[in-house]
Amino acid sequence: MSRAVITGCGVVSAFGVGARVFWDALSEGRAAVGPIRHFDASGFPTRVAGEVPVLRTDGAWLREYLGGRLPEPVLQEWEASGALRDRKIGFGWVAALEAWHQAGCGEDASDTWLSMALGLEQAFLEDFGPLLRKEGARTSIDWATEQGASLPQVRFRSRIDLCADGLVRMLGLTGPVVPHVSACAAGTLSVAHAASLIERGAATRVLCGASDSMVNPLGLGGMSRLGAPSPRAEPDACRPFDRRRDGLAMGEGAAMFVVESEERALARGARPLARILGWGSTQDAYKTTAPLPDGAMARRAMQQALRRAGLAARDIGYVNAHGTGTPLNDPAEARAIREVLQDVPVSSIKGAVGHLMAASGAIEAAACLLPFQSDCLPGTAHHRERDPECDIDVIGERPREARVDAVLSNSFGFGGQNATVILGRGA
Amino acid sequence: MSADVIGWAWRTPLGDSVETATSRLLAGERAATDKLRFETRTYACRLGAPILSEPRRSRHARFLRRMGLFGLEAAHEAFQQARAHGCDASGERLGIFCGYGGLRAHWDDMMEALSGQHLEQGGTWERGLKRIHPYWMLKHLSNNAHALLAADLSARGDGATYGGATAGAQALSAAIRALEAGSIDVALVFAYDSLLEPETLVDLAARGATTTGDLASLVAPYDVHARGFVPGEAAAALVLQRPGASGALASLSAADGADGHTSEPTAETLAAVASRLAQTDTVVDGSGRALPALDAAERTALASLLGESARLTAVQAAFGQMGAATTLVQAIALASCLRRGMLPPISGLREPAEGPLVPVREPVRTSARSALALSTGAPGLAGAVHIRSPSE
Repeated sequence: MSRAVITGCGVVSAFGVGARVFWDALSEGRAAVGPIRHFDASGFPTRVAGEVPVLRTDGAWLREYLGGRLPEPVLQEWEASGALRDRKIGFGWVAALEAWHQAGCGEDASDTWLSMALGLEQAFLEDFGPLLRKEGARTSIDWATEQGASLPQVRFRSRIDLCADGLVRMLGLTGPVVPHVSACAAGTLSVAHAASLIERGAATRVLCGASDSMVNPLGLGGMSRLGAPSPRAEPDACRPFDRRRDGLAMGEGAAMFVVESEERALARGARPLARILGWGSTQDAYKTTAPLPDGAMARRAMQQALRRAGLAARDIGYVNAHGTGTPLNDPAEARAIREVLQDVPVSSIKGAVGHLMAASGAIEAAACLLPFQSDCLPGTAHHRERDPECDIDVIGERPREARVDAVLSNSFGFGGQNATVILGRGA
Repeated sequence: MSADVIGWAWRTPLGDSVETATSRLLAGERAATDKLRFETRTYACRLGAPILSEPRRSRHARFLRRMGLFGLEAAHEAFQQARAHGCDASGERLGIFCGYGGLRAHWDDMMEALSGQHLEQGGTWERGLKRIHPYWMLKHLSNNAHALLAADLSARGDGATYGGATAGAQALSAAIRALEAGSIDVALVFAYDSLLEPETLVDLAARGATTTGDLASLVAPYDVHARGFVPGEAAAALVLQRPGASGALASLSAADGADGHTSEPTAETLAAVASRLAQTDTVVDGSGRALPALDAAERTALASLLGESARLTAVQAAFGQMGAATTLVQAIALASCLRRGMLPPISGLREPAEGPLVPVREPVRTSARSALALSTGAPGLAGAVHIRSPSE
């Protein structure tokens, strides 16, 4: 059996573009949730997010990071189609190219698989005006008008797989494309899937990870109506495991990885950033919007991952929690962690960068590489008051120095989908 | 890597029961109609193959739209059938794998939020977004059908939801892998998709994929006059166990691939995916895209794999193209036909185009116990399933 390793990592986050930018910010204990700037969010109950610091993810912005990978006419075609307004498309491309380059992948890597988690397609409200037809009290969209029918396919909505589609074209990939859509657990599942493909020899290399942005009027509006975000439009909106926690902060961004077999990586002189040691996946079978209060199936996902990794609980030196900062998630997760891993240091980066939804598991896997880079465990931004209901060793706002050899990352999706991945220090 | 099928069910344009729809398929019927759920007279594509029934009343209707409800119905029905055969899996030994091709924002749920917008003037929340239903986001949750089904069945094992045009094939592959790895004992795989939505019809027609003619002039795939497919919709479910299950309905394996093309995958890609499954098959259910150049290339590529005399059918000529649900529907349809010792005809095929493979024009008896089925979708996606009917 081949051991899967990560040889490239790319990140786009609220801290900016680049994995190094992300790791430096985490190791300095910074937080980046703040007022939304790229559209007018005044009037929304939620006006803060972990927003990537770019106003427009347009061709000009992408040119800076794509380095000519996408020929200019093709980039112009994408821009003209309106697709680039969907921020997750550009984020995913930029993160993937960083991972690709870091791993040293070249033209000979075209047989790479793509295992990618993506969020809901985005609706562009500004496209609807000309197509709305009012008949009395009823309003509908007249799709068949000449104007509607002649618009490019990406008007109104950006298909969920557009980001993956662009990557396939940009990198000339010919391997299968697997879009993971298991809500907030999808990013972690994409990494686990990549590792399983490598371990059983089905793929020689997998580009995996996730990109998402719901920091747009419809995403923000929908989540606000659902009542998931903190009602406080403050930079400390998300306070994971804190006694005063009252909801999540939305975030956006991407994290992508190149995963390949350890032997192959070492043979070609690539430096593994981490090994993917194990993973687990379970379902709460409880409620769409609430986790099992006792965290039983989250616990089982962690136990499955430990078993697959061949590790004991004491081998895990750090847990990157799902840690949404919501009243229900954190105590359930804390119970599960305590039962499985006792006093292991735990943190959540969602207070710092927000909840990246489909991409949360991927960016948190990227955060899990920090301990292997610099013996530093990320802190938990805005965690100030311990909650007896969350009886675990929560790393506070300041990162903690520690040398660890194995770390565990949890992702729990709406609908009760639980996913855990364990990473180990690279060779 | 294969699995045994111990339960199946579907909701299709040819009917809701496997027996009825199989009989109609074998009779050469096709579900295409110009009477869709919305007015299409001004659309380029005016035909479709809709499911004619309505979802049953369900407490999950507040979280799921029509196709998701069909998906749950099919999944429950398939699982009941498996239980009747002695399957008692639950908890962590039961996994659910879902293929969902329709991860789309549904505008009709949002009119109240959209109709008052003047974006240049801002105030999007006050102008309507604040009136979005609190469950609107949950209705668009990608894995909500998966989550609700898991809760209904207390299924707590491995599983995931996959998206895109070949999501059904991917869900099937993942389920078979999980069974092989031993992380679960039973996998419930379900998929649902509808191409019969206004913006999807506009999209498909703009890409030249769908027929633009009327019902009277509709031509089947692999016909010399073929001019695009009929968009359809379906939900289907399979219950799988590791090989060796007693009373299995069929056994199957699945594969998928992609080639980076923005529209349809090449015939070579299709053949490469098929080659991972095909053994000595003499029957193939083609992807049925109904465009002469694509049809011809597919036949040539498959002939190099299966031989020129392999029988070619196309169940999608009868059901319409069903997106992410296609692979599961193909698996059930072909297994069901093979169990009857019959091959279904390509519905509506009048003048087969010249080329390798032998298009099935009338229902024919067969001694074949296995078949290969292929499906495609944009961007450049190919799916395949290999079905083996148990020997008598």
